[in-house]
Amino acid sequence: MTIWRRNRSWLWPALFIAPGIILFGIVIVGSSVQSLWISFFQWDGFDEMQWIGLGNYIEMLDDPQFYISLRNNIIWLAVFMLAPPLGLFFALLINQQIRGMRIVKSLFFMPLVMSQVAVGVVFTWFYDPSSGLLALFFEAMGATAPALLSDPRWVTLAVVFAALWPQVSFCVILFMAGLNNLDESQIEAARVDNAKGWKMLWYVILPQLRQVNFIAIAVTVIGALRSFDMISVMTSGGPFGSSNVLAYQMYSQSIQAYRFGYGAAIASVLFAIMVVFISWYLWRMLRMEKEGA
Amino acid sequence: MSKANTPVTRRRVIQTLGAGAGLLLCGLRAPAIAKPRRLIIISDLNAAQAPAFQAIAAEFGRQSGTEVIVNNIAHEANKTAIRNYLVADPPDICFWFSGQRMRQFVGMGLFSDISDLVEHEGIDRALGPLLDTVSIDGRQYGLPVGGLFWGLFYREDVFREHGLTPPETFEDFYRTCYRAKAQGLVPVAMGTKDQWPAAGWFDHLNLRINGLETHMALMEGRVAYSDTIFDPVFEQWRDMIQQDFFLDHGTSYAWQQAAAFLARKKAAMMDLSTFLQSVMPPGQEGELKLIRFPTYDASVGPYEDFSSNSIHIPQRAQQKALAREFLAYFYQPDVLARFLAPIGTVPPRNDMPVPDDPLTKTATGLLRASAGSAQYFDRDTHPAMAWAGLKGFQKFSVYPSQGKEIRQELDRIRTRVTTST
Amino acid sequence: MYPRQISKDDVLKKYLYLAAVTLVLMLWLLPLGAVILTSVRPASDAAVGNYWGWPSGFDLVKNYTEVFTQTPMGRYFFNSLVITIPSVIGVLVLSTLTGYVLSRYRFRGNTLLFAIFIGGNFLPFQIMMIPVRDLTISLGIYNSYLALIIFHVAFQTGFATLFMRNFIASLPDELFEAARSEGASPLQTLIHVVIPLVRPALAALAILAFTFIWNDYFWAVVLTPSDAVKPVTAGLDNLKGQYVANWSLISAATIAIAIPPVVMFFLMQRHFIRGLTMGAVKG
Repeated sequence: MTIWRRNRSWLWPALFIAPGIILFGIVIVGSSVQSLWISFFQWDGFDEMQWIGLGNYIEMLDDPQFYISLRNNIIWLAVFMLAPPLGLFFALLINQQIRGMRIVKSLFFMPLVMSQVAVGVVFTWFYDPSSGLLALFFEAMGATAPALLSDPRWVTLAVVFAALWPQVSFCVILFMAGLNNLDESQIEAARVDNAKGWKMLWYVILPQLRQVNFIAIAVTVIGALRSFDMISVMTSGGPFGSSNVLAYQMYSQSIQAYRFGYGAAIASVLFAIMVVFISWYLWRMLRMEKEGA
Repeated sequence: MSKANTPVTRRRVIQTLGAGAGLLLCGLRAPAIAKPRRLIIISDLNAAQAPAFQAIAAEFGRQSGTEVIVNNIAHEANKTAIRNYLVADPPDICFWFSGQRMRQFVGMGLFSDISDLVEHEGIDRALGPLLDTVSIDGRQYGLPVGGLFWGLFYREDVFREHGLTPPETFEDFYRTCYRAKAQGLVPVAMGTKDQWPAAGWFDHLNLRINGLETHMALMEGRVAYSDTIFDPVFEQWRDMIQQDFFLDHGTSYAWQQAAAFLARKKAAMMDLSTFLQSVMPPGQEGELKLIRFPTYDASVGPYEDFSSNSIHIPQRAQQKALAREFLAYFYQPDVLARFLAPIGTVPPRNDMPVPDDPLTKTATGLLRASAGSAQYFDRDTHPAMAWAGLKGFQKFSVYPSQGKEIRQELDRIRTRVTTST
Repeated sequence: MYPRQISKDDVLKKYLYLAAVTLVLMLWLLPLGAVILTSVRPASDAAVGNYWGWPSGFDLVKNYTEVFTQTPMGRYFFNSLVITIPSVIGVLVLSTLTGYVLSRYRFRGNTLLFAIFIGGNFLPFQIMMIPVRDLTISLGIYNSYLALIIFHVAFQTGFATLFMRNFIASLPDELFEAARSEGASPLQTLIHVVIPLVRPALAALAILAFTFIWNDYFWAVVLTPSDAVKPVTAGLDNLKGQYVANWSLISAATIAIAIPPVVMFFLMQRHFIRGLTMGAVKG
């Protein structure tokens, strides 16, 4: 008992955090590390694993698909960066207290709760070059619709555009929360000083939304790098791999081509990219906290 | 946890979670007393065929006093899941594919040898040439449960309206295509969004130009894609693409969407299998006709693509004896016929009546008249090679002038695949 | 409030605004509309490419009844609930505990632990497939509810810990100092100070975690091959045959599947925004 009493100031917290650490440590961290380990083997998921050292990584340097996937991940990242400003735009648009706006706001968030698989299917219909809405629109204008999903130049953009839909929705939610948390006195003071429109937004509102902005960017980056479901549903990485990204290439190498070692090696590269981002994220977050304290 | 405990756990899990649900789903009357005999089946059937199988399983359960649990998995998902459940938690019966895909699993020791059953039930005689697709060194590891015959389809009414004739040779085929084009039809519908339909064209061209033996040598990695023997195949295909015979933007469409062009009388022909019937407008199914892929070289026999699915007993199944009992029951001609009826597939046993469905009848006739058959590109070749090949053919269908580069890339994969295994 | 609120008395402006917002909303929800419309179409419409035109007939009752009578969707629904609800509760409990400790206790390795939680959550989870499969096999829970529950709890705990840590860090320090000066143990502080205050954050987190777990497809396919335990997302895939897909039925099922998260969202909307405001936004 005395041992407990003497140490309870740290034993309690240790007890609190233990289940989380154990579960997360075994399932997530353990599996990820094991995955890195697998990347040094040649393995079809069944047979004996064969140690090949850096073989998978060397092959990757020779694999044209790897570079295409990497390039597409960069496109995803770049285009996804539209989500935070668009989210802010919609949030500003609907942030009114008029009767009936509550339901409007909820409906704006719907894309986020729909499964990605469904979103992908609908956008495939949308782009369908013979009977899609886009084709009908082009037809009405007297033009022929481009076949976005079969054109290696456009396909990635078309998929990212579809993926933006739920992502913007996510950002709208975040910015709505941010707008509800503004410092009223600052706004009033600025209004007294006759600040309006853009100026108000730029000098008074945005600085207060810095934290939301940061989170919105973070979830957007994660979303872009982890993109998988939409590609799986809309193009399966095609045509001929031109819309592939690292996460999907890793999956198809493992699951479809049964090359778990090679898939794991691609995962490691994706992981390395993530680490850069995670480090930036943590650094900024801790710095902000210090400033705030 | 020790290995010995695993079955106990599995039992428990299935008892607590599966039994109630399984009964609920199968529509079985719950037996009053607990039965020790329980057969677990994992199937990968579509919505049309699953109920037929459930009914057969339930019937077997009643007759043999067995509790039968059927877990159905989506066809594509099963391809992922099977690698997990065969190792982790094997059912007593599962569905898979004949040919190379089965051989791969047998090589890993995952399917059990059922030669005794095949011999005892006289299935070997009933199967004829299909016996090969489930055999390795004369031993059988599964039973074919019908399959898909691949050939050229057209609408009879469209051909009549436009004065087109079903092509028998390549000259005919070109003539039909020119004529169709002149009349505003798309000569050939092909949707390669899911990649594999392009491989069907490759298969057919190669089978017609080089024959089955060379084709299988390529599938098994014994010949290079860059080998000059395949030049005429790619050359012929390139010419057809550049003549604009195929549907524009083919890579945007899954086969269903491409087939809609045929169904809506906007395209003349399509290279596919009998399931094409499902997209025909109601009442017009009868217009759809199937012919053998046109002859290229009269000296090369009529080799076909026929992919057969099959049913297996996993090596680590718990109830192997019971599973055999089930297979013997299931594989009786009349029971098997009920299983195949909803999807109109070529019957695997020659002692089964040919189905009434005209397309299936044609397919059965063409298969029986064939000189030999392959399964389909992605079923015949190594999985990693199949993955690369489907992608390569899809690319070729858009950029036929890059044939050389595409074939080199395929050989890069081939070299790796053949040296590593 | 920003932007400036439209005055209640300015009726014209109010209606113009509402009209404009409705128009934007309709465009915004166009894709959703397509699914809903297709879910009432006869199956033949989608087969001939009629996704956007007016349905050639209305099969609302037929399609939706078929989802539950012709397919085991009812069973999958039940499975999804059995998987999702305990998972969400597990995530909430674990992340409250870890978030509390990481935000309120200074110890060596605190930042590192936090970094691992975040980092693990940022990973493309597909890479863990084989190790997770093997883990569930060795625990004897492969192909059971527990396999999915354990994975989801572990994975979502990463994100939820980030969220809860920031939320609890934003609570006033005075509260914790007061508790300490009164001699409250960490457990008492947790029960009497933290839990009452984190409710809005838990509400927000519950919705997000519910949505993520409910919509998971990948793990459902990998870890639960049998119908008895399979959730709706994988079940939805079952509706697609090998070569033949009935899009009307699939659309109807998609809508049916989306209902639980939507209901959850509407019920908790007010808490959601408030919780998010403090958890994610204030940090």
